[in-house]
Formats: sequence, C-alpha cells, structure tokens
Amino acid sequence: MDFLSIFNGYAIGLLGAGLAAGLACSGSALGTGYAGQAGAGLVSEDPGKFGKAMILQVIPGTQGLYGFVIWFLAFSKLAALGGAAMSVAQGWQIFGACLPIGIGGLVSGAAQGKVAASSINILAKKPDDWSKGMILCITVEFYAILSLLASFMMLNGIQP
Amino acid sequence: MAILRMKRLRLMAVRSRKDALLRELAKLGCVEITETGEELRQTESLRPESSGLMAVRTRQASLDHALELLGQYVPVKSRLLSAKPELAGEIFLEDDGVDEALSVAQAIADKHEQIRRIAAEEARLRGVIESLEPWMELDLPLESAGTERTELVLGAIPAKVSRSAVVSALSEAADEAELFPVSEDKNARYLALLCMREQLPAAQEALRGFGFTAAALGGLSGTPKQAAAAAEESLKALAEEKAALIEELKAENVHRDELKLASDKLATRVAMAEAEERIVGTESTLVLEGWMPEEREEELEKVFERFDCAWELRDPEEDEYPEVPVKLKNNQITNALNMVTNMYSLPAYGSVDPNPLMAPFFILFYGLMMADMGYGILMIVAALVAMKAIKPREGSLSFCQLLLYCGISTFIMGALTGGLFGDLPYQLVHMFNPASTWKGLPYLFNPLAEGGAEPVLYGAMVLGVIQLNTGMVVSFIQKKRKGNLVGAIFEEGSLWVILVGGILLVLDMLHIVALPMLHNLALAILIVGGLMLLFGAGRGAKGFGKVTAAIGVLYNTLTGWFGDVLSYSRIMALMLAGSVVGQVFNSIAAIPSAKGVTVFSLIVFIVIFLVGHALNFALNLLGCFVHDLRLQCLEYFGKFYEDGGRPFQPLRIRSRYLQTEEQ
Repeated sequence: MDFLSIFNGYAIGLLGAGLAAGLACSGSALGTGYAGQAGAGLVSEDPGKFGKAMILQVIPGTQGLYGFVIWFLAFSKLAALGGAAMSVAQGWQIFGACLPIGIGGLVSGAAQGKVAASSINILAKKPDDWSKGMILCITVEFYAILSLLASFMMLNGIQP
Repeated sequence: MAILRMKRLRLMAVRSRKDALLRELAKLGCVEITETGEELRQTESLRPESSGLMAVRTRQASLDHALELLGQYVPVKSRLLSAKPELAGEIFLEDDGVDEALSVAQAIADKHEQIRRIAAEEARLRGVIESLEPWMELDLPLESAGTERTELVLGAIPAKVSRSAVVSALSEAADEAELFPVSEDKNARYLALLCMREQLPAAQEALRGFGFTAAALGGLSGTPKQAAAAAEESLKALAEEKAALIEELKAENVHRDELKLASDKLATRVAMAEAEERIVGTESTLVLEGWMPEEREEELEKVFERFDCAWELRDPEEDEYPEVPVKLKNNQITNALNMVTNMYSLPAYGSVDPNPLMAPFFILFYGLMMADMGYGILMIVAALVAMKAIKPREGSLSFCQLLLYCGISTFIMGALTGGLFGDLPYQLVHMFNPASTWKGLPYLFNPLAEGGAEPVLYGAMVLGVIQLNTGMVVSFIQKKRKGNLVGAIFEEGSLWVILVGGILLVLDMLHIVALPMLHNLALAILIVGGLMLLFGAGRGAKGFGKVTAAIGVLYNTLTGWFGDVLSYSRIMALMLAGSVVGQVFNSIAAIPSAKGVTVFSLIVFIVIFLVGHALNFALNLLGCFVHDLRLQCLEYFGKFYEDGGRPFQPLRIRSRYLQTEEQ
C-alpha cells in the first residue's frame, strides 16, 4: 500500500479523469471510424445518401461526449476537493469513479460502430428501412448511458 | 379503438361492368380482393381473368423512369416541409392524359439515350486525340503504310530502354531498317520504324525483345495534326448537338406535373390489374372473393346493387382467423401508437388492439425519460408545424401525433422535475448574479437532487409493476373469454397472489405498516401463490415431467418477473442521463462568464448552449423512443399480446407523387 500512496492524490485523480475522456473518446473514434469507412464506400456509389450515412456515422460519437462530461465533472470535483492539497484516498476515489465510462465507453463505442457500419448496408440495400438500423445502434447506446450514470453517481457521492 | 370486424364477401357481377365496378371499389378503398377459394378454383367453367398486369406495370415504370431522368437534368430542390398536392379521388381513376404523358416519357427516354450515345462518342474522340499526342511532330499521313518496297511502322518502347542498344539490335536483324525518333515522354520513346518490306518480320521480332508496341492509330487519315484537328472539330459539333438535346430535354420539364399525375393514375391501374388477377369468371359473369369491414357494409351494398351484383356476406369462422386481414380503428390519441404497433407486428384477428392499452404508458414513460420543459416545447412546435405544413397521412400522421403527445408529456414531466434545457434558469441567474442563493426551479422529484435518484428509481419500478399487471389483466380477460378460466387463475392469478404476498412482506420489512402477524401472513400468502403456480405448471405434464415442468415454470416466472421489473429502471437512467448531459453543457457554456458577463462570454454561452442542447435533444429524442418501444414491445406485450395479424390491403387509389383529398 505504501507504494500506491507515494503518488500525489491530485495526480491520481487527474489520471482517472484523463482515462475517462481518453478511453471513451478512443471508443468513439473507433466506432465513428468503422461507420465512416462503410459510409464513404456507400457515398462513392450514391452521394445522395450522404446525410443518412453521416447520421449513422455520428451515432457512436456519443461515448466520447459522455467521457468528456465525466472528465469535466471529475476535473471540477478535483478543484472542489482542494486540487494539489487533496488526499491520496480522494484521488483514488475519483480514479475509481472515472473507470465505468472509460471502459464502458471504449468497448461500447467500438461495438456500436460495428453495428452502425452494418446499418450502412441497410441504407444501401433497403433505404426505406434505414431507421431500423438506427434503432439497432441505440440498443448499444444504453450501456454507454449506464456507464455514464455509474461514473456520475460515484463522482457525486465523493465528499470533500 | 379496436380491431375492425371483417366480413367475407363473395360477389358475382356482370362482365360488361367489370371495369366500372373495380374503379368504384378503388375509389371507396375498403374491399380487399383475395384469391378465390378452393371450391371456385375447382369449378371448370370459371377461368381466371387476364389483366394485362405486366403491360400496365411497364408503362408505369416508364413514367417513373422519365421522372427520374428529368430529376437528373432539372434538379428540384426538395423542400423539407411540403405537402403533396391534393386531388379528388375520381381524377386518379380517369385515363385521360396518360397516353400523352407516355409519349412525353418516351421522348425523354429517347433524348437521354441520344445524349448517352454522344457522350460515348465524345469519350472515344478524346481517346483518339490523346493517343495522337506523341505523334504531332510526324509529318506523314497516317494511312500511308510505306511505299512499294518499304514499310513504315509507328510504335513506342519503354523510356528506360537505351536507344543505342535498340539500334544495334535492329541493324543486326535487318540491316536496311532505320528508327526515327518522333518524341518522348517520361514513360516511353515514340519511334517510326522504316524498313524493307521483306525485313519487317525480322525487325519487329528484334524490337519486341525491348518491349516495342505498335501504336493503335488505325482508321485515321491525314497527318497526326490534321487527324487531331478533325477530331477536335467533331467534338465541337457533338458538344453543340448534346447541348441542344439537353435543352430540349429540359424543356420537357413543363410536363413534370402531368407525368406525376399519369404515373399515379397508372399505379392505381396496376392495383386494379393486380386485383383482377384474382378474379375468376365465365364469358359474361365474374366471381370475386374478398374481405371488407363490417362497418362499411351498408355503403357497399348500395354500390353492389347499383352494379346489379349478387353477393353474400358472412362472418369469418374461428379457423379462418389467421387469414382475416387486420385493420385497427383508432381515435385521435390511439392513432399515434399505430407507428409502434406497425413497427412491431399487427395483433392477430380476434385478439385485442394494443393501441389504447399502450397509449397512456407509452406517452407517460416517454415524458418521464425526456422530462424537460424546453425539449417538450420543441417537440410540440415541431409536431404542430409538420402537421400544418405537410398534411401528413397514415404513417407520418401517426408519427406527428406521437411527437405531439410525447412532447406534451415531456413538458409536464419537465415541470415536475424542474428541468428547462437542463438547469438553464439556474445557470443564467448565477451567471448574472454570482452572489445569488437561488437553488433553481422548484421540483416534485428530481434524480439529480441530493438523494433524489432513489425515489425515481423505485417509482420507475412501481410503474413497471403497474404496467405488467395491466398486461396480465388483459391476458386474464382474454383467457376467460376463450373459456380457459382455470388456466387464467393458475397462470395470472397465482402471480397476483405472490405479488400481494411480496408487497406485504416488503411493507413489513421496511416497517411501513406495523401489524402483528403481518410477517407470517405475508409468508403464508407467498407460499400459497407459489403452490398455485407449481400446481398450474404441472397440470399439463405427466409423471416425473410434472416436477421438472413445475420447477421450470417457477424459475422462469420468477426470474422473468424480476428481470422485467428491473428493466423499468431504464426510465430513471434515461431521465438522469438526459439532464446530466444538458447540465454539463450549461456549466461549460457558463465558464467564460465566471469572471463577469461580457458580450464575448455571452456569445460563447449561446453557441455552446445551442450546439450542446441540439446534440442532447437529438440523442434523447431517439434514445427515449427506442427504450420506450422496448418496454412496450418486450416487457408489456410479452404479458398479453398475440401478434401475427395480416394488414388489410384493400383495392384503392395508389399515389406516390400526389395524394387524394381527405373526405
């Protein structure tokens, strides 16, 4: 335990906040990347479907947003806890609270991107049913929302 | 507010009035003509009608194709909110204007084909000019392939091959042969080979080793310069011809509306021809069978009388139910839920219409998940504007109505949770007056408040229990109607007993109600319920199967119920997530104003606010719909819904570009 406490609490908290934003944004980057590739393929054949392809592409972009929200809340919490003066325990608390959206955002963003990329196929082959692809994507979204809530409620519970 | 009662129709008519009768039926749009029954199909004297379906379809497709081509040459800006023009139903059933439209369509298709050919010729000529490029310096006519004794061959070798090596190899093979360089670029050297006729094969053989390829300039005449100039000339002429054709084609745009109307007329003819395919008849009579809603009976009988028909109507038998088409009759409120029902699956004929059972829950849950006055107002405005501007029908009407009702519910729930674009009022007050102690809008319940999340979570689950029980009551009544009261008591009834026991136990354990013996009473009720469930599950099975069936049912029922109720926690999750994201955007937007509000900080606030809330709104609009849908279709429908209804598809006016006037 001595090993863990040689770190400064503020640094640990920053590490957590950084991971929340960084991992979740990576998930979104992967997800929008997959969907964007598929979308670019479709648009090269049928430029008229750009708008809908873009909507499908941005759906996996929300994990990054959620990660950023938690980063923001964690960052303001760190300031509220006294910044560099905070205790090591508080730093670890922030770190722990940041994990759900980091991990959940990374995995769900990538997974949702795959669904979105496949939904681009629906848009190509059955354009009238493309909104069903959107619904399939939103199912994955729920787990990003739960991760966001888990992080949020834990952060909220940390007392100065 | 129910599934419309259908009647089976069998109708005999006079052949001479077939067309008029079909038109009348298409106008009324309430008879579905189906394949005739076995009995009629076996009758030898009855032949299926020939309808010319393929021909009508081809003609209709040619109109659509012409419209598509017109759209390419004269793009129309599609307005986001525009209603389709409305015409009286009769107009779609007349034939006039169709032939004219077809000849316009033919002209458009012909011109497009000519333009296409010209474009191909242009591409060929550009290719020729490009291939002449390296030979411009050559001052010899291309058709001259040498003299009486000599041969001239034009060709290229790769640039990396050294010229001296080629020359020496060539002089070895054919001593009289000579290579004249014409030009070179970074890929190749272009050469003219002059040699004696009899030495040509040897010379070519020698050059082939260096990658010599003869130039493909066959069919051209004059020097390369002349040939290129001639090609340029033709290109110019073709471009003029093409421009003229495009202009002519664009001029056909004045007929666009006629084409649209004719296309819709023919689409209706296609529908009639499809119906005709299912009619059988003799030389002078016809027989058709189909379904029609009972409520239109009187109206239709008058029509049948007018056309001197003979008909019989009967109620469908129970074993025919899977074939009976389903049409839901809805009022202003429940019509909105058609969107959900159609997306899932229509109810089976003879079961219940889910729309009125679902409407209050769907709208309430949506409002709870979204819960923001600002978003609610946006939804209401969007729905009203769309309803006014596009005069939606059927599917899009349901959508607009659903948006409107959910918007109202969202607004009310927003008022109860104190949400207006997240916590906009709070942020604004604190931006302009940092010393303010105002805590934000008042609220009845708010998951973001201190200790506010748990009551909302429990409330969501209580709502779940209420909805699931509503589903079970419906199922109970349905079973009772079908004479399966015993089954209903053991399946639904035992769960209610368990539920009562469970509630009493929870009340006792949380010390909300303090009664002596309450604990034991609750346990006793639970055990009775469990036994009822076990007994009910074992009723159908035999021997040892009774035990496994009973345990299986007990396990599945209890875990299923547990999962179903927990699933309603998503109401709280979405409510919370929407307001968290909204509030964070508000806080980020307010950061530049922290040290006093300036014009700049206010602009930043507005920009971040708009972008952030647009994003949050769009995401929640969709997310709440999907999760509400899931609660209805999976948890709620699972308790009572019998799906698998076949949609009622009457013969009626089909229109894609226009629509019929509302009656």
